[in-house]
Amino acid sequence: MIERWALVSGLRGDLETYDLIQRDLKKTRGVTALFVLGDLVGPERNCDALLDRLKNPHRGDLKPDCIYGWWEEQLLAERGFRGERKADALRLSQGEDAVSALLNTVNPSHLKWLASLQFGFIELDCALIHGSSSDVGDNLTSETSPLILLDRLTRLNVNRLFTARSTKQFHLELTGGGINSQVKDLNGKREQQQEVPKRSVIGIGAGLNYTLYDIGSDKTHFLTAGSKTNPKGKGFA
Amino acid sequence: MNHAIISCLHANLPAAEAVLNDIDRQGIDTITCLGDLVGYGPQPNEVVELIRKRGIATCQGCWDEDIIDGLNACECSYPSQLAERRGHLAHQWTDDQLTDENKSFLASLPTSLRRDRLLFVHGSPNSQHEYLLPDMDAFAALERVETAGADILFCGHTHQPYVRELRDGSIRVRLQNADHGNDQGEELTLPMRKIVNAGSVGEPRHGSTNATYVIHNDATDEVEIKEVAYDVGRTCQAIVEAGLPKVFAWRLSHGFEFAEQAEDASHVCER
Ligand SMILES: [Zn+2]
Ligand SMILES: [Zn+2]
Repeated sequence: MIERWALVSGLRGDLETYDLIQRDLKKTRGVTALFVLGDLVGPERNCDALLDRLKNPHRGDLKPDCIYGWWEEQLLAERGFRGERKADALRLSQGEDAVSALLNTVNPSHLKWLASLQFGFIELDCALIHGSSSDVGDNLTSETSPLILLDRLTRLNVNRLFTARSTKQFHLELTGGGINSQVKDLNGKREQQQEVPKRSVIGIGAGLNYTLYDIGSDKTHFLTAGSKTNPKGKGFA
Repeated sequence: MNHAIISCLHANLPAAEAVLNDIDRQGIDTITCLGDLVGYGPQPNEVVELIRKRGIATCQGCWDEDIIDGLNACECSYPSQLAERRGHLAHQWTDDQLTDENKSFLASLPTSLRRDRLLFVHGSPNSQHEYLLPDMDAFAALERVETAGADILFCGHTHQPYVRELRDGSIRVRLQNADHGNDQGEELTLPMRKIVNAGSVGEPRHGSTNATYVIHNDATDEVEIKEVAYDVGRTCQAIVEAGLPKVFAWRLSHGFEFAEQAEDASHVCER
């Protein structure tokens, strides 16, 4: 039997998008888990209804497992949940207005729940994180240097890293290569050879663009919620 | 031209003087210090003042940072809980001893120094608290140098001097379900890079009691690890007289940190 995960991110308060994804998933075989990799909230619209639905799933909803993303980090920092830090990254990139817009989209009654969300999940040999272990805002794409991608995998010691921050969908596999290293110290010299481990980084997309991952076959499917046929035309019903 | 790199003086004045004398004797006048002027040792003010008087370019170490910012370092700074308790004791003692002027000097230090293709940091380009151990994952080590945009990275913090050359590297990648047939994949050729760890002047842990530092020739890129003997007994006595934990003296007189290797050297402090 196929066992697959659904991976979603960047809803940013958009309940309609979430509803479309849930409908898609009802029609999809074998989905055993739904992971929402952060950016549940955003500055564009009121997020309370989506947060209510995530916290209290409708009957028939696939129950979501959520972690926090870059926008939650900004919100929580500004609301005093991150010690001295404030929403500095948002303030720097989009100005004071964006900070107050964000504060206005989330009722403070949701903050405790948002603050309880984890930074990431480790499932099987996979890490599911909004950015990477280096930073929640780490913007990994298929264009990112493979050296950096490998570093992010190595830090977590996982074979697959699912990331959402870039909003892009991609599945980049590290398939080979190696490196030589020579260490000289007061005891002499030694040589080491190391091979590139077979690992991959998967960008899951954002908003309507979500990803299905087949655990057994290590295959990803990049989908768009609500579209009549999926982009690859390979039937998922 | 030869230049010298020193690190981790740790308030050990006899060791600092001996190393600077050794450098002077060779006619080397460019010296870079990778921080940890204080901590563990008994003469923090004297060592800071020596560095200030000589005008040695210095970046901030983990101990220098903690003295300024208070001890909010996460536990990754210490290899074990016992080490952490002793570290706290030494921190308090150093904090009490240091003059305000010397504290503001430590606060003014940059976290990195750059000269052309050479980058100088205390721990790693990411953090003063990250250990770049000689046997860490070679790709991760290369990533630190490469992301920082350097050819040679000089670091300290481990108290074990080494030179590591990373070469002939490559990584092959392939996009699964790419839109336009990219099934062949691509190969990235990695550049050759070096990491040079300067060891420790004032608290060596490489298996001998001698102070260590390195000399780099920026024309040939040759690196020499230097060992300098100094009056260890004098520092040990001063540690005991100052009321600092006796294990610091014991450690100096043995030259290694007994059973206290970092448990997770790849951990990155995220504070
Ligand atoms: Zn040190
Ligand atoms: Zn240090």
